Amino acid sequence: MPEQMNNEALEPTTATPEQVENSSAQTDEMLPVEAGSGQDGQHNGDLVALDKSVVRSAMWRHLITLQWSWNYERMQALGYVYSMLPIINAVYKDKAERITAMKRHLVFYNTNPQVGSPLIFGATVAMEAQREGEAVDSIKVGLMGPLAGIGDTIQAILFRPIIAVIAASLALSGSYFGPLIMFLSGIFWTILMIPLFYAGYKQGIGIAQEVSSQGRLARFTEMVTIMGMVVIGGFVPSIMAKLKTPIKYAQTVTSLGQTHTQTVALQTTLDALIPYLIPVVFVAFAFWLLRGLKLSAVWTLIILFIVAFVLGALGWL
Amino acid sequence: MSYSVGISLLLAVWAYVGIVLQLGPGLWWTEALISGFVTGAVVGNIPLGLTIGASLTLISLGLWTYGGATIPDFQTGAIVGTAIGALGGGISVGLTIALPTALLMTQMDVLGRAVTTIFIHGADHYADEGNQRGLSVMHFLGQLPWGLSRGIPVFLALWLGAGPIESVLKTAPTWFSNGMITAGQVLPALGFALLLSMLPLRRLWPYLLVGFVLFAYLQVPIIGIAILAVAIGFVVNTLKPRSEGSEANA
Repeated sequence: MPEQMNNEALEPTTATPEQVENSSAQTDEMLPVEAGSGQDGQHNGDLVALDKSVVRSAMWRHLITLQWSWNYERMQALGYVYSMLPIINAVYKDKAERITAMKRHLVFYNTNPQVGSPLIFGATVAMEAQREGEAVDSIKVGLMGPLAGIGDTIQAILFRPIIAVIAASLALSGSYFGPLIMFLSGIFWTILMIPLFYAGYKQGIGIAQEVSSQGRLARFTEMVTIMGMVVIGGFVPSIMAKLKTPIKYAQTVTSLGQTHTQTVALQTTLDALIPYLIPVVFVAFAFWLLRGLKLSAVWTLIILFIVAFVLGALGWL
Repeated sequence: MSYSVGISLLLAVWAYVGIVLQLGPGLWWTEALISGFVTGAVVGNIPLGLTIGASLTLISLGLWTYGGATIPDFQTGAIVGTAIGALGGGISVGLTIALPTALLMTQMDVLGRAVTTIFIHGADHYADEGNQRGLSVMHFLGQLPWGLSRGIPVFLALWLGAGPIESVLKTAPTWFSNGMITAGQVLPALGFALLLSMLPLRRLWPYLLVGFVLFAYLQVPIIGIAILAVAIGFVVNTLKPRSEGSEANA
């Protein structure tokens, strides 16, 4: 998992339990108004039995609008606060307390929106109901990194590429099932957010243990990653199979004492060496641009595009 | 030939709705297959929408907005490519326009994500006052930069640009279209490289070779590889000794 998180874009979300302490401290600095009075302990205040309809309303707000106001500064923060409003109003009756709670949630928040966030949001709804404000902050910060990794691995590495290849092949043969499969995939992940939310809600603070203890979830992620690796290994040659060079070169061969030249297709020579060498080289090149030269995805894309365009225009590929 | 204000506007709304509903609830309408198909239906050339959507989907394998990263916008690419290709140029013109559109739209994506920052500061202000209605309005307005950064380019490209773009592309030399075709074939490399850069490659690279050998030497179809991948994943998981932590958890 730590290696997986070793990415610039995800850096803010990588929080180990030790870092959670620091983040909470930062949060305090950012929000000097934060009232230490009302909730300085975890066993403070009355437990609020949340009405089912209130919980449901929060669940739908989160499900439908979480990222509508996604921005570079605090990413999913505002969507999170908006979704939490029904809970805040049910738990805190005093206006000052409500303001404190809103401001407490208006801090940086970003995770996988369909797999990770429903769990985190569900768990924090349950904790907010117990007036465990401080703990809510650490849970958010502590869980959003790991769950971003797990969610993205499942959705982007295992699920989407396989489904996309099937759907695209169907669509290329003119079948409406192609877009339909994609459409149903979106519905599937959206509907899944409902049980995930309630799973998080029932687990409450227990969800943190589940994620951080290197337990079942860590093993599951590892398993999914291995599956993804095997599939990607097959995808590179199959998806990019059309990348072949038409270049031919003349070779002087001596056979039976006679010397004559023959034209050999470069591709035949390459195939004898390693099949699908050109796709592999391009993936390695792109990987080197991203990791070796630390270029952004957009720059890598532009360079790849130009290189490929020139090679194609020259008739070399 | 060009598109009427009505059709241009309709597809601009489709782009707007697609991206906003991708942000939440995440309906995947930004998938090139879906946006291309719907565009094909609107302009009356569904087969073209399917082909362009599928081609872009194959390029986009492995692309994912990890941690909010900007990736090529194949949603807008599919809409504009399908619509312009449907004017008569067909698949080659459609793809030739779809790729650069998807690439250029990365700039609009960055702009949209940046402009939305305004609303979080508005929300700070309303939170101070305890004004929940104001805070909610800020949240809902957040969709405007996102949706408009897609909708406006789609509208302009179809209403103003469709005719001129198409006539230029129709007379493009062969080397140009060859270059674009090759570029389309190479671009999946970006997706795979992005995927690999997210994975613990140093530890798990052998599994990559398994998949490669299965396809390149043994000609196993991709679904077969996926099935075997699931088996390998489970077997490895079973063989792995359980750590102390997981015991306590199980």
